[in-house]
Amino acid sequence: MYRYDEFDHALVRERVEEFSDQVARRASGALTEDEFKPLRLMNGVYLQLHAYMLRVAVPYGTMSSRQMRKLGHIARTYDKGYGHFTTRTNIQYNWPALTDLPAILRDLAEVEMHAIQTSGNCIRNTTTDVFAGAADDEIEDPRPWCEIIRQWSTIHPEFSFLPRKFKIAVVGAEKDRAAIRTHDVGLQIVRAADGGTAFRVFVGGGQGRLPHIAQEIAAAVPAADLLAYLTAILRAWNLLGRRDNIHKARIKILVASIGIDAFREEVDRHYATLRREDLKIPADELVRIQAYFAPPPFEDLPKASAPFDRALLADPDFARFARNNVRRHRQAGYASVVISLKPIGGVPGDITADQMDVAADLAERYSFDEIRAAYEQNLVLPHVKLDDVPALWRALHEAGLATANADLVTDVIACPGLDYCSLANARSIPVAQALSTRLADLDYQEKLGPVRINMSGCINACGHHHVGHIGVLGVDRKGEEYYQITVGGSPDEQAALGDIVGKSLPSEEVAPAIQRTLDRYLEIRTDGERFIDTVRRVGPDPFRDAIYETLDAANA
Amino acid sequence: MLQTLEGIQNGLRLSVTTPLEEVEAAAASEDVLVLEFEAFRDGRGFSLASVLRERGYAGRLIAAGKVLPDQARHLRRSGFDAVELQPGADAAAWARMDQAFSAAYQPATEAAPTIWQRRRAASNDRDLEALAERLNREVEGKSAPEIVRAALDPALGLRVGTISSFGAESAALLHIIAKERSETPVVFLETGQHFLQTLSYRTQLTKALGLSDVRLVTPDAGEKATLDVRDDLWKTDADACCDLRKVRPLARATAGFNAIITGRKRYQASTRAALKPFEVLDGVLRINPLADWDSEDVEAWLVEHDLPRHPLVEQGYLSIGCWPCTRAVEDGEDARAGRWSGMDKVECGIHLGKRQAAA
Repeated sequence: MYRYDEFDHALVRERVEEFSDQVARRASGALTEDEFKPLRLMNGVYLQLHAYMLRVAVPYGTMSSRQMRKLGHIARTYDKGYGHFTTRTNIQYNWPALTDLPAILRDLAEVEMHAIQTSGNCIRNTTTDVFAGAADDEIEDPRPWCEIIRQWSTIHPEFSFLPRKFKIAVVGAEKDRAAIRTHDVGLQIVRAADGGTAFRVFVGGGQGRLPHIAQEIAAAVPAADLLAYLTAILRAWNLLGRRDNIHKARIKILVASIGIDAFREEVDRHYATLRREDLKIPADELVRIQAYFAPPPFEDLPKASAPFDRALLADPDFARFARNNVRRHRQAGYASVVISLKPIGGVPGDITADQMDVAADLAERYSFDEIRAAYEQNLVLPHVKLDDVPALWRALHEAGLATANADLVTDVIACPGLDYCSLANARSIPVAQALSTRLADLDYQEKLGPVRINMSGCINACGHHHVGHIGVLGVDRKGEEYYQITVGGSPDEQAALGDIVGKSLPSEEVAPAIQRTLDRYLEIRTDGERFIDTVRRVGPDPFRDAIYETLDAANA
Repeated sequence: MLQTLEGIQNGLRLSVTTPLEEVEAAAASEDVLVLEFEAFRDGRGFSLASVLRERGYAGRLIAAGKVLPDQARHLRRSGFDAVELQPGADAAAWARMDQAFSAAYQPATEAAPTIWQRRRAASNDRDLEALAERLNREVEGKSAPEIVRAALDPALGLRVGTISSFGAESAALLHIIAKERSETPVVFLETGQHFLQTLSYRTQLTKALGLSDVRLVTPDAGEKATLDVRDDLWKTDADACCDLRKVRPLARATAGFNAIITGRKRYQASTRAALKPFEVLDGVLRINPLADWDSEDVEAWLVEHDLPRHPLVEQGYLSIGCWPCTRAVEDGEDARAGRWSGMDKVECGIHLGKRQAAA
């Protein structure tokens, strides 16, 4: 993984000093709160309902054990002993004291981490496939490109005061495991006609109040021109995007209002006059960065592992974990292992400081010192020998980290909601917990197969409810928390927005209504048909009926 | 540094909300342009300045209105020359924030070298001798794989390749390198006079070790047409033949590397008796992970890892080069006795460097 050199170190150090200067000027009154706010946001500092919140960047979700231990240390020392992983693979601390922030940032800098541009109207942390460099269907590892984008976008002179936030995601395979079509810009690595690396570029995706699926703007931008092309896109939007209405400022609104073809022309016009040579990624810089992401020294192993196979037969709980949380790997004899942060009845994405230490130790021992944060608010150990999976599972089990529900119905994605967030209309955590508890039976969950449920506490959609197979959105109805249900959303290469099925439900009705939806699916599915495929085949009606049947009966 | 100006400045004043086309049209006939920010959050001014500069506006560009000291470097790097300070603004804060960062990653309108450019310069200027000395200290007592790992450490920023003859002992080093990074470039000097067995062994070993970047380097066709049209230069001048087929092509093939891993060992020749793991030759770091190995060490490695053998070894060839200048050796004879046998020559020249070669 990437390691800082003297320049990276200096930049992060200087950023901490700059922020200290800004805090001092805020304290002296030289900066008003209105002026200070965007500056602190660009350093990851939010003011929440009850306290400040610090969002730490995990660039493209990749961490070393040392970094994970430091995240645990921060949770223990400055917070309440836990942290929360987000859908953009960052980690949030909900209770830091403002006066501790400089110390936290310095601690982070020690392990080559920071909170730069995790919020604010700038280019945010670039995300990617959690299985990058491990998946067996990858054209090319996207992480070096993410690192190049990270460097290029950090403290960008032209793009630090954009109309609104700007999020980029990159995948290296046809299969989209990073929801690129829900991003302002989604990049998919493809092979150009000459065999070189190129990027298929999508633009104008986004969720929030006015959700849009990104559209293709370019089929194959040559890799060396990537930064020039991104510059042209951002420049077109920076000059033309709306600034009068925060809800209409994202690039998705510009693209939707002038149309993808007109927007493409606008981008092409800028691209034509850009000093492209300056923006070409230097070949030796690319080689330098790619070298950090070379595959670890894998052993030559047979495909099958006797210890793994024996454990499958010996222990049904292990077998279940292996079925649900262990993923294929490009290297024979290895696998990627999902560490679910969705224990039954738990808070999605939360992890304690002690669990962070355990995850760090296990990554060091079993996964070449590498650990990943996933879009789904889980962790992944990317490179585990199959032989080691049984021992790893036992260790995870002891730490309460072996919930065998990856991609199953209780692997719920949820925002922090009204328990923490000043924007929320409703709580999402208790609803997610109630649902998880109700659907806890793993036999039932496995019978259902992959179902993605997403919950957001407000229309800003941090829980990505629009693209959940089942989406739950918290709304405020005359001071009461209600929840609107959608079905049929999908974040992947067949990205789609879910359909709203009807009027919103009170919180205690949400879990039973979702269970009826799932039961209806079991009745009407064909052999081997996944939930989302059934919804695509039959439409939302049968599910609407299931959701409202008892309510209608009660009202009849 | 961004100039800070007191008082209202002369020049055409336009709001940053003005459409780009109008700003451009106005700029065409102006020597001084003042772009006024109506809110510091409105970053259009940064793009306007960048576009004007990229499209050739060479006049003076001044930022005015609601801008923060924290935006000084953004203004400067986007192409502004100066800022018109608001009444009561703190010029010291502007100066401080302008210089808050010693470098930037991304190229911008200003000409100062970016971090990317400075990295490149640093890696070119790096004092390789000092690096070699440090690495020699660090790897003291370490194994060959550890030496290779040290050389491939991305933090060093080295562009590392290796050269291999795919000869009798080559498999050991290639195996070590492949385990560390199988995409390390491997240069094979295709002299046109190799044994067929060497060529088939090269194919076999490449596949077995998973080497993904084996590069075949041939003599320059023009040079060969002048010097050795009948492929018999070796009969009259073996040094010139090595020069044509090995030394010159290698120099071309390795121009992109600043570090080369070799399989040389101290015991092989008197010229190699003082070989260290890291040394510098002609501005290139030479890495010799097997410097203190002897033939038994190689044999043990080949056996332990069950590596394919060069087909000629069992016929008594212990050091294998081009067929005209290689013979099998007798039991008890030195392994390299079969190279340039009967000539006063122990090295082809690729490991000698320019100074020695000229002497």
